[in-house]
Amino acid sequence: MLCLSRLRQIVDRLIPEIINGIVLGAFYAIIAIGLSLIMNLTGTVNLAHGSFLTLAGYLAFVLLQYGTNFWVALGVSAILTVIVGLIVERSMIRPLYKRIPLYSLLLTFGLSLIFEELFRKIWGPQAVPFSAPQYLQGVTEVGNVLLPTYRLVIMGVLVIAMLGLLFFLYRTRMGLRLRGAVLNTEMMAALGINTQTLYMMNFAIGIFLAAVAGILASGLIGLSPTMGNGLLMPAFITVVIGGMGSLAGCLVGGLLVGLATSITTLYAPAFSEIVIYILMAAVLLVRPRGLFGEEGLFG
Amino acid sequence: MKGPQSRRDFVKVTTVAATAAITGFPAFIPQRGEAAETLLLGVNEELTGVYAYPAKNEVRGMQMAVDARNKKGGVLGRQVKLSIEDNVNNPGTAVEKARKQFEVDKVPVLMGCLNSAIAQAVSNVAVQAGKPFIVSGGHTDTVTGAQCHWTSFRTCHSTWAETHATGLSIAKKFGKKWYFITPDYAFGHSLLDGYKDLEGKLGIQIVGSDLTPLGTTDFSAYLTKVLSAKPDCLVAMVQGEDLVNCLKQANSFGLLKRIPVAGPQGELEVFWELPPEAQVGYFGFEWYYKNVGNNKEAQAFVKDYMAQFGEPPTARSAFGNITANRMMDAIEEAKGTEPVKICKALEGKHFSPLTAATAYYRAVDHQMVWPMSFGQVVSGGQGGDKKDIFKILDTQPGDAIEQTAAEQSKICKLNYPS
Amino acid sequence: MNRYANIAGMSLLAIVLLAMPEIMNGIKLNVSLGTTLLLFALAAASVNLLVGYTGMMAFGNAAFFGVGAYGSALFTHYILPDNMVVATIVGAVAGTLSAFVLAPFLIRRRGIYFALMTVAFGQVYYFIAYKWSNVTGGEDGFSITRPRLFGAHGMAMQGADYYYYVLVIFLLVMAFLYFLVRSPFGLSLRAISQNEVRVRYLAINSDRMLFKCLVISGMVAGIAGSLYSMSINFAYPLLMDWHQSGDFVMMTILGGAGTLWGPFLGAIIYTLASNVLSSKTELWQVFIGALFVICVLFFPKGILGFLSRTATTTEDVDTSTPRARAEAVIEGEPG
Repeated sequence: MLCLSRLRQIVDRLIPEIINGIVLGAFYAIIAIGLSLIMNLTGTVNLAHGSFLTLAGYLAFVLLQYGTNFWVALGVSAILTVIVGLIVERSMIRPLYKRIPLYSLLLTFGLSLIFEELFRKIWGPQAVPFSAPQYLQGVTEVGNVLLPTYRLVIMGVLVIAMLGLLFFLYRTRMGLRLRGAVLNTEMMAALGINTQTLYMMNFAIGIFLAAVAGILASGLIGLSPTMGNGLLMPAFITVVIGGMGSLAGCLVGGLLVGLATSITTLYAPAFSEIVIYILMAAVLLVRPRGLFGEEGLFG
Repeated sequence: MKGPQSRRDFVKVTTVAATAAITGFPAFIPQRGEAAETLLLGVNEELTGVYAYPAKNEVRGMQMAVDARNKKGGVLGRQVKLSIEDNVNNPGTAVEKARKQFEVDKVPVLMGCLNSAIAQAVSNVAVQAGKPFIVSGGHTDTVTGAQCHWTSFRTCHSTWAETHATGLSIAKKFGKKWYFITPDYAFGHSLLDGYKDLEGKLGIQIVGSDLTPLGTTDFSAYLTKVLSAKPDCLVAMVQGEDLVNCLKQANSFGLLKRIPVAGPQGELEVFWELPPEAQVGYFGFEWYYKNVGNNKEAQAFVKDYMAQFGEPPTARSAFGNITANRMMDAIEEAKGTEPVKICKALEGKHFSPLTAATAYYRAVDHQMVWPMSFGQVVSGGQGGDKKDIFKILDTQPGDAIEQTAAEQSKICKLNYPS
Repeated sequence: MNRYANIAGMSLLAIVLLAMPEIMNGIKLNVSLGTTLLLFALAAASVNLLVGYTGMMAFGNAAFFGVGAYGSALFTHYILPDNMVVATIVGAVAGTLSAFVLAPFLIRRRGIYFALMTVAFGQVYYFIAYKWSNVTGGEDGFSITRPRLFGAHGMAMQGADYYYYVLVIFLLVMAFLYFLVRSPFGLSLRAISQNEVRVRYLAINSDRMLFKCLVISGMVAGIAGSLYSMSINFAYPLLMDWHQSGDFVMMTILGGAGTLWGPFLGAIIYTLASNVLSSKTELWQVFIGALFVICVLFFPKGILGFLSRTATTTEDVDTSTPRARAEAVIEGEPG
């Protein structure tokens, strides 16, 4: 009898943390997928990815202040962010495609500094009061557990986004070409397909995913000039753990990172910030290419 | 396409020109330095970065003090000017800038800093340079504690004072059974130590204590524990985004209806920016613009500030204003800029810190001793004024909240030059 | 490069180094900023070993720098107060060890993975400094009194004195690096940057080379850090942050990766620009970011890279993977 109630206690404490971990993991996974898509096809390490997350959040914030419907704001901001992303891609990143990745790394790093300062100038250095609409806040009862509604909504949207991506990649012409280019760019070009357009589309998808994640995250953790950058590091670690070149890897990696963080927060809070690095070190020791990575990809 | 030789020449010439320009460039910067007519007051603040808004308010307060003084003829017959440097919220840069201000710009005194690390680092520079420095907004205990210096003073309350002021008020208003939620970093630990000191002094019963990692977004697990522990008050020491999330969730869980949530320090700059559902809780306020009593000078300050800047002054504005005024007074009294004389002039003098009470910089540790209020944050403001979000419930006198002079004399050795 | 230009350049360098305190005063800046220039130049040189000579994207050297800083600071405060020379050595050893501990992980990957790992592991050091606040002071930082040169009655090293002490060490390290890059070891590093597979076929253990390179890089960064905390009398976690690493990489690229004095030139320009700009405008970070962007897009070889024919790893064209080679072909570059 005593055992059962202790077990019950533990489970009751654990379930919300597991939910948190899954939601967090979903965020990291979506951002990691965007990063991975961009890295995979063009070898660009996008350190400005976090800035796009934040930009989308601020754009949505502006729209929400004018009373726009939350979902409309989500869609419009994502599209606007993608446009900004494409401008950046065409003007600054494209010339670097043929160079070693160090340059794209530095360029995007510089861009992230510029973005951060612009955000500070326009919207102030502190967090802005971004709120998801009232009907999305509060709690929902699932079984006999109370779960925060907004987190369920986030899960829902991210799952839809991922399914949408899978559909695009595996069921459409464009997706087929994208996958082909990842495997063999030279051949795609030889077949007469415009690889530059493919790169743009690839980048656009990555940024779109980041934008959606950014807007949802703003409602959860708050919107400030450095919001996106805080999510970026775990996302990179997700890519490393999951293995570059693998979408499944991003998903699994994200879940691992998210759950590791949230469970460690519960039982060993002092390590919760470092645990993801320990996890990465462990994975790299045992399986250097990442859990689902392909051998020899990027060394 | 020109040949390689001329390209190299071009680049060589450009490099030389660039080097010359860079080394000669600062010659185009207008000369600084103590002109015979102007008295420079050095200011070292976090003007860019996450603290830009409070830092700007501190400078505003200082500028108002300087402008007002200049209208009355300046200090010792000289017009006063602020010599402002941005320390970009980085201690290394802050040290370089402070050294530049002392060695090159030759400012006789320095004021500012609200980041704790920076306040301490610059205080160390000040004692090396042997020039007076008043920390306007950095709260770490060490500045007037274990690492105090004869050159360094502090206007805002110490961390110890914040916890003791709010602690005394919480015990008075809500009760003595407390639950702690502490952010797991140095500032959090100092706050916790401060509150725990009251365990012995007031008989506080700690029914629970949790350390939360920075960046915690979900407090539900902790809040559930709080609900079952049934404290008289939840003392939440988290800051920034963590605090916002904690408050939002405490609100949405209905916890606030049963258990008050209190924190050591509330800042208008932060609370004005929060969504209404997070403008809740009880906090310590070091200074509030509606709490100036019948102090004519303070009333004028609030009125002028609102006229000039379109928003009420915050505690930060007050820190800046008080700091600059006291510094100028000390220079007047010292009849010059001799450092030891200025420091001695600052010590012990009673003045009115923009409230009805009086304050003084204590001789033992150079900490300004003045009252601190405790009150409730009112979501959306009071009386139709969105900015008036603080309802004062209690005030603690300065002498009751700072560490006693006897205790401080054990840890702080000022070491005046002999 | 033209011999006369060489001599002129070296003479200018000698003058600048020897007369730095006067120059700093002349351009209305404080002397210790000159010390900082030398130390950031050393940190950038440590990055250059990895980025410039070995072709490895190292984005975590600030961690070694920071460990060195804390090493000498903690040693001075807790163990032996007035011994600058020993404190320098302690910091250097700390920096070396910090790289030694990470090297077994880092050598397992190349390219982007390597870069990400350097960032991530660097952050672990940052977190340790941040969290272990009982020892390091956490985010409040750690204050020290600058130690005397040697013992309690030794020379107290004020402003310009300290600069010359740092200058001596700087020159020693630069001399060391000069001989290192010309040694067989250095040549192997450069070979790795050009084609690691070929190097391995020549029976050279590139992993071991990289390991040694990382440790040496850690040592140089550690020396720089150990002197830096004694310069500003303070150590703080942000010194280890990856943004600081990014700054060091930028200095290397700006000055010219793969050249001996590139990092020094880059450090001077970057640090002076940041310092002066932040005194003039609140938008200084936009300008610094723009500097990154412009440098990367238009001057990837850096300033000295333009001038020096012996600069290595300035091969813009990425030929490391089949995909990249295909890409180069599509773009019309010589594969």
